[in-house]
Amino acid sequence: MLYTVNRSPLSASSLQSVLRIAPAGSPILLYEDGVYAAVPGASSAPLVRAALANHPIYALDADLQARGITTVLDQIQVVGYDGFVELVEQHQVAPWL
Amino acid sequence: MNGVAVVMRKAPYGSVYTAEGFRTIVGIAVFELDISVLFVDDGVYALVRGQDPSQLSMKPLGDGFPTLTEFGVTKFFVHDQSLAERGLTLKDLVMDAEIVDSARIAQILETVGKVLPF
Repeated sequence: MLYTVNRSPLSASSLQSVLRIAPAGSPILLYEDGVYAAVPGASSAPLVRAALANHPIYALDADLQARGITTVLDQIQVVGYDGFVELVEQHQVAPWL
Repeated sequence: MNGVAVVMRKAPYGSVYTAEGFRTIVGIAVFELDISVLFVDDGVYALVRGQDPSQLSMKPLGDGFPTLTEFGVTKFFVHDQSLAERGLTLKDLVMDAEIVDSARIAQILETVGKVLPF
């Protein structure tokens, strides 16, 4: 199951919620304000680094670019819309709005 | 029978999510889908007893959920941690629901496959 997160980890608990529900190995896609979780200097970074040990984490390129995020945490995989579509084809989706 | 998991994660009254989630459940129930309703995070507040939003000119949203059984919707799950961290127990809720842990929530989502988030 692909869990998708579209809220900033600094203002909402969506990502924290996903991390306690999603079994290890479940991929997580960050999009819209969810991509702020990819920022290395953010206070959410330790949480996300720990999560990367258990989950592949993807961030949507268009949303990173739009927000001026040019550097993401190591191991976060930046995907375009084509990658987004591929993930959705490969997994059933649990949107964690 | 096709299954759908409706995940309620928002508190009632602060947004349209709870009301719309409820309306959606009623709407899809007529198609005889196998519906599982899961209450996670602030979603558990939707089921708290004693809601009286009359001064907000709204209807009590919690009272609607027990009536869903009349539409054949009988699978209600409440996330244990979400309930506990809000100081709530099953007794505080308007209906009997199955208390489940994170792993079981994930398993239900995995089994059902189709997830509608509210």
